[in-house]
Amino acid sequence: MSNIYRKRKYAVIFLIPALLFMTVYLYYPFFVNIVDSFQSIRTLGAGSNNWNDPWYSNYVELIHDEVVWTSLKNTGIMIIATLVGQVGIALLLALMVDNIHKGVQFFRTVYFFPIVISATALGLLFNLVFLYDKGMLNQLLEIFGKTFLTDWKDESHALATMMIPVVWQYVGFYFVIIETGLNNVPDELYESAKIDGATALQRIRYISVPMIHNVMVTCITLGVTGALKVFDLPWTMFPKGMPLDETFLTGTYMYYQTMEAKNVDYGSTLAVLIVVLGVILAQITKRVFKEREDI
Amino acid sequence: MKKRLAALVLATATACLLVGCGSTEATGSAATAAAADSTAAAETTTQETTAAATSEAAEAAEPVEITVTTTFAGEDGNAQNYKDAVAAWETETGNTVSDMSATSDETLKTRIVTDFETGSESDVLFFFNGADANDFVSAGKVVSIDDIRKTYPEYADNMNDDLISASPADNVKYAVPVNGYWEAMFVNTEVLDAAGVEMPTADTTWDEFLDDCQKIKDAGYTPIAAALGNIPHYWWEYCIFNQQTPENHLNIPASADDETGTQWCNGLADIKDLYEKGYFPENTLSATDDETFASFTDGKAAFLLDGSWKVGGIVSNCQSDPEDASTLDTAKLDNFDVTYFPGKGNRKTTDLVGGLSMGYYITKKAWDDPAKQAAAVSFVEYMTSDEMVAKFAQHTATALKDSPKVDESQFNSLQVKAMSMMSGVTSLTGAVQDLFNGDCRVSTFDGMPKIVTGKTDIAEAVQEGIDTYNAAQ
Repeated sequence: MSNIYRKRKYAVIFLIPALLFMTVYLYYPFFVNIVDSFQSIRTLGAGSNNWNDPWYSNYVELIHDEVVWTSLKNTGIMIIATLVGQVGIALLLALMVDNIHKGVQFFRTVYFFPIVISATALGLLFNLVFLYDKGMLNQLLEIFGKTFLTDWKDESHALATMMIPVVWQYVGFYFVIIETGLNNVPDELYESAKIDGATALQRIRYISVPMIHNVMVTCITLGVTGALKVFDLPWTMFPKGMPLDETFLTGTYMYYQTMEAKNVDYGSTLAVLIVVLGVILAQITKRVFKEREDI
Repeated sequence: MKKRLAALVLATATACLLVGCGSTEATGSAATAAAADSTAAAETTTQETTAAATSEAAEAAEPVEITVTTTFAGEDGNAQNYKDAVAAWETETGNTVSDMSATSDETLKTRIVTDFETGSESDVLFFFNGADANDFVSAGKVVSIDDIRKTYPEYADNMNDDLISASPADNVKYAVPVNGYWEAMFVNTEVLDAAGVEMPTADTTWDEFLDDCQKIKDAGYTPIAAALGNIPHYWWEYCIFNQQTPENHLNIPASADDETGTQWCNGLADIKDLYEKGYFPENTLSATDDETFASFTDGKAAFLLDGSWKVGGIVSNCQSDPEDASTLDTAKLDNFDVTYFPGKGNRKTTDLVGGLSMGYYITKKAWDDPAKQAAAVSFVEYMTSDEMVAKFAQHTATALKDSPKVDESQFNSLQVKAMSMMSGVTSLTGAVQDLFNGDCRVSTFDGMPKIVTGKTDIAEAVQEGIDTYNAAQ
């Protein structure tokens, strides 16, 4: 082997540009963001006027702000919806597709397709589906005899209306990952189980699911961290947490405070909260769903 | 060999990086030197410049590109007029415009302020002349009309200076106005006819308006098209105005329980009353402004409180091709009318909210750039010429000394009705929300759904806005 591969200093040289990039565009801004959360900034792009009095006042407000708790609750629901709706449905679909012989590629394409559409476009699309007057859903229900219009974006429906498109969009993403994992399970295992008299359900329970354990752990980790970052589709469908601040997620509330309410320092505080939440949840996920090395 | 090759690649890459940095510096120095030369040249030129027409100066100089941001975009009734005017100016002067116009909303306001903060502002800006501009005015990033006139004496000399608004930041005039605006109540007369309600007039009172709303509701229609969760601005303004007079409407309360503060609270209580009576759309808290506007144009709602710019939106809606005026369905447009917002207390129904709230600014950045100064001045002069102002203003006010006679034969029926309404106006008062701007309004604008549903106390919401306003002073 050539010396260039043995001497690690060359690898380090190649790693430095990426490290510099991350430092300049991620770690430094995050550090500044923490400092901003202690200052008074009323306009985006403007410098700080002075330190808050007391300097930790934004963090006190964070605790007393009801909308923060609403957004945390909604984000929690979004995580559950992601795990059950996205990863769960993707697992079911992948198991079913794994058991058919024809049309596998067709289903892969169909289920994956929503991923390639921009979330904003999907938001606008679902706005038309759930529109109050002349919306697709209300028109369909009218055909079936419903005589009044339902406001799918009112307080009682808003959360479900927001989460259905988010879940629907990403099912295909997890489907492809899980389906690829299932393809890697050796056919011999299924054949010998079949000879031993195992039913289809038993083969799934005792072969497929354990063999894709690590794939599922990856999907769950991606799902949890992804749910924390969901922004564009909910904001397109429910700007400013409409109605009555009921649909705010941590990400959309941070954006609202920064861009709409011009409360930049409080937006920075919310950004710190999101990062802390992300780190904690990632650690919990890592500890609860451990990867197995024996597969 | 491979090791040498790798070392060579690394060395080359490092050298490129260093050369890149060095060349940037060199370019920067060269640019600075060139700028210094240009500045010196400009100073000489400036001294020589007299009252010569600035468009001639712009033509004589090397063609330049100026960046311009306006609100003549989207559904704005003057979007096409603006495009045509820019094209004509480009042809006349040989200069080009990099246009960054966008629909007037909070996002645009944020973008403008951020552009100034980060030094990426446009050369010319058509923007609000109220408190929205305070930040960049206070920072000295725009040039006053008086300062421009020292070099270009004819700048905006076709305007009546008394009608040009001064900045609330320093009481200096910066923005040259084009077209004014008014806020009034559009009416779908088809809905009124179906509900057996007469068209409101200049004498319609608030109580009569409430009676009309009830009749419309009983007939199965939505009386008022408004998205309180999205755009409560117009109702906020007029319901507060209804508690006041043109003389005291622009006062900002010191607290929610002083005289002005109480008027504000009573105004918001009127909106809450309308909501509780069910006069707004059923989905008013979750709908967008576009949805409620569609319900108005589709003949499902009777009244729409909005600005003069909405005339263009309604007309477009009556065209089979929104881009082609020749496809206008005149019979459909005839179903729309516009009238005064019903008065209450000491405010006369014919007292309107309106004025000249926007104008053309020339930024300090463009003014200090010798290559762009003349072009920026030429552009603003072109866009604020008598002919152009008359074209843009239509049925709204202007600040012209000699307004050209309006050719009404070119107007559609809604524009004629708007002209007729404007002829009966007893006063035109600015919007207090232009002074009480930005985050001060959050508690009563974004907080409107909670106010009308009783989840937030009105006085608390008003006080929260006042506290934010006072903190920013």
